[in-house]
Amino acid sequence: MIEILLIYAIIPLIKIAVVVLFLSGAIAYLTLLERKLIAHIQVRLGPMRVGWHGLLQPIADGLKFLLKEDIVPAKADAFIFTIAPAISLLPAFLVFAVVPFGPPDMLKDFLSWILGWFPFLNLDPETIARIAENPIASGGYVTDINIAVLFVLSVSSVGILGIILGGWASNSKFPLLGALRSSAQMVSYEVALGFAIIGVLLVAGSLSLVEIVQNQQQEHIWYVFVQPVAFVLFFICGLAETNRLPFDLPEAETELVGGFHTEYSGFRFSLFFLAEYANMIAVSAIGVILFWGGWLRPFPNSDWLSFLDFIPGVLWFLGKVFMFLYVFIWLRGTLPRFRFDQLMQYGWKIFLPVALGNVVVTAGVLLAFL
Amino acid sequence: MDFLKRIFFVDILKGLALTFRYTYRKVYTEQYPLEKPKLAGRYRGAPRLNNDPVTGETLCIACDLCAEICPEDLIVVGSQRDPESRKKVLTHYTFDTSRCLFCGLCQEVCPTNAIELTQDFELAAYDRRSMVWDRKQLEKGWDRIHFGKDYHK
Repeated sequence: MIEILLIYAIIPLIKIAVVVLFLSGAIAYLTLLERKLIAHIQVRLGPMRVGWHGLLQPIADGLKFLLKEDIVPAKADAFIFTIAPAISLLPAFLVFAVVPFGPPDMLKDFLSWILGWFPFLNLDPETIARIAENPIASGGYVTDINIAVLFVLSVSSVGILGIILGGWASNSKFPLLGALRSSAQMVSYEVALGFAIIGVLLVAGSLSLVEIVQNQQQEHIWYVFVQPVAFVLFFICGLAETNRLPFDLPEAETELVGGFHTEYSGFRFSLFFLAEYANMIAVSAIGVILFWGGWLRPFPNSDWLSFLDFIPGVLWFLGKVFMFLYVFIWLRGTLPRFRFDQLMQYGWKIFLPVALGNVVVTAGVLLAFL
Repeated sequence: MDFLKRIFFVDILKGLALTFRYTYRKVYTEQYPLEKPKLAGRYRGAPRLNNDPVTGETLCIACDLCAEICPEDLIVVGSQRDPESRKKVLTHYTFDTSRCLFCGLCQEVCPTNAIELTQDFELAAYDRRSMVWDRKQLEKGWDRIHFGKDYHK
């Protein structure tokens, strides 16, 4: 009984708590990283005053958001206005339920060590071994579902709803325009994003993110080398999906004041803010898993690189995600914003046909040669 | 060729390379209140009335040349003739920093290098009256001290 409770309830709950807390911290410090990096690209210093080199800046920002006045515009639809940030934030966090941070036996040693420290559980060594063997308890992820990619795609598109609702409920020009733009942008780029992912799915033959990584290990190669076109498409469409520059039209400061969050202030605004950064991390994590081998080290099966094995898989994963985020911010410091017609033109006239072509070619090659 | 350039995002990659070079360059920002800016050697800032480093007496001989040449007429030199040595002795000296244009003519004309424009530039005050510096304040000066006639050459 206690064994089942541990495997299916307690350990997953602890894992969820760890993931949510870690994610919140990562988002907070991602904002600092962004400010620092953009500053250094512009040969400035960025935040320096709060803590050593501004290391406590995210905490100061969070406090500021909490203490600021929370304004609901007089003619806004108060209910939708209130729930829109939550609708935007929840899916962004939900994606991490299926993101594998490490291999299925990541916590095996840790579990068999730590469970011995709880004498009141009365666990004999065999039970501990069984719990530690079970991937549901010891996997480096919250859960591994066999339709994970589909889950990620569908859940992340719910987040758009929050932006549209927020823009609509504000009852103001700029948020509405931002929301209209975001709906058009996200709908058009989600198509190309989906097709880019299909290329990987054809090669991997699975929708489970864990299995996709394991397949990359079996085939001795990261899928970015098998599907380079799909990766470039995924990256560009990921930028567009997360509203990052050069695709940040929904919140174009220079044209739309703040875009969909113009009327938001205080804590509600910070929820939108969190959602944007959580989405960034989510897209990076999915990209790393699909194309850059998740927790695998470079050339996962070659012996001459086995000295790299002392670095645990989680760190490989987080390092790769960090590289992704770095490039995201780097791009923001480099490129100007697209015009709206350019955005639509690229989305429908270039990325979608190329993604479709990639799917056809991949499927054809797989059919003909494998 | 142009087509290949667009396919492989050559221009975007060039831009990225440029910003990457700038990322790890030395920053231009000076954190002003924490670190003082580097001023040019000939910068002219707050005035100071120099004392002789050996005797501690003022170098000013009350010749009134600085007050004469000052385009703003902001220097007032008060003197008294010593009845024994028949020398002029400085009694008071005021310098109105609020009107000073830091042209440096006073230090150019001073025969003993008594009046000098130092590199101290933080001259803000809470009221106008305290921007008129008297002799005491002018003699306090700043930590970087230059003496000797060859200083200006």
